[in-house]
Amino acid sequence: MSVVEPHDCSGDAAAYVLGALEPAEAEAFRRHLDSCVVCRDEMAAFERVIDSLPAAVPQYRAPTSLRRRVLRDAREQAKQQARASAPPPRRLHFAPRTVLAGAGAFAAVLIALVFALSGGGSSGPRTITAAVLGHGTATVRVGGGRAELILNHFPAPPAGEVYEVWLQRGSSAPSPTRTLFSVTSQGTADVGVTGKLSGVSRLLVTPERAGGSPRPTHPAVIVARLA
Amino acid sequence: MQLVHDGQAGAFEVLFDRHCDAAYSLAYRMCGRRSLAEDVVQEAFFSLWRSGVQYDPARGSVRAWLLRVVHNRTIDAFRRSAVKDGRDVHDDAAAERLPATELTDVEVERREDVLQVRDALEGLPTEQRQVIELAYFGGFSHSQIAEMLHLPPGTVKGRMRLALSKLRLTLGDRAGSIV
Repeated sequence: MSVVEPHDCSGDAAAYVLGALEPAEAEAFRRHLDSCVVCRDEMAAFERVIDSLPAAVPQYRAPTSLRRRVLRDAREQAKQQARASAPPPRRLHFAPRTVLAGAGAFAAVLIALVFALSGGGSSGPRTITAAVLGHGTATVRVGGGRAELILNHFPAPPAGEVYEVWLQRGSSAPSPTRTLFSVTSQGTADVGVTGKLSGVSRLLVTPERAGGSPRPTHPAVIVARLA
Repeated sequence: MQLVHDGQAGAFEVLFDRHCDAAYSLAYRMCGRRSLAEDVVQEAFFSLWRSGVQYDPARGSVRAWLLRVVHNRTIDAFRRSAVKDGRDVHDDAAAERLPATELTDVEVERREDVLQVRDALEGLPTEQRQVIELAYFGGFSHSQIAEMLHLPPGTVKGRMRLALSKLRLTLGDRAGSIV
């Protein structure tokens, strides 16, 4: 084995596998990999080295509270999925009779969706479709006292800005969260929202300067009614 | 992994129990704060569970793949928060570090591998080890490191490349099998 020989490329493989390229540089490097076998080989070799680095870290036992949270959420989602794929309950009085008459898998899925969006009368996870200003879709998944915001085809924030998540209780001013995010080049994001949800009526997202703002300075681009 | 991908909660639980300590340890080393490390690990595992991200056995072990997800998630968290404090571990994090009695048996079992990787890192020239520490464990981009160290970005990238090449030589065929 020998040290990788230099070649004409920018030498970004090391920075890339270390996660040290800026997002736009990383995207450009990924495109470059399509046509450069040297960088592909170099990256593969470096990835094996990178995979070894966590061994240098002192090992700790993960907190039991973390285990409880993660596995509880997983089980809740599994139950939700099972409900979505199960035949419709007989006594769903809010299910349109005409749809039930049509029966079949489509009806089951539709009813489950209505059930989920309406809160279903249970304390299980809920999926809420948010109102979006402009392009893209946004859904908020609420369960176990936590919220997760999932975006698709959503535009990136203006240059130098990030998206900030706010929680609003009743008519009081929106409270800032520690949740700042951007979207991928595909316009997707999957964001765990920090902050307690008790009493929260609306989740808002605004573009703000990098680092966040203590109060909204732009109109909301996403609004989800949680209660 | 296929069972996890198929949405079986039991399989996910096994995956979590097998790798949560390593995932948490890496996140904690990077974040320096217990609460943030927990958030990152939770996000990483839950994204795997919810989205069913495909694991490619050709690119290494499940553990290595999972730790890559944790590493990337931690960097994402750094970059979206723009909060720089607490990333340089060992200082303000000290109060939250778990006591030595919490060290897992896994570390003992893997002591030889651990020592080999630590020796390899310590064997790097200081300026190369520094950029690896800042980039991989600190989550800083090459341009941030260049600014911190008052170096041209090209120099930082060059040091990263030299460092990884040397680690590759030092660790030899064991690289990639040590996680």
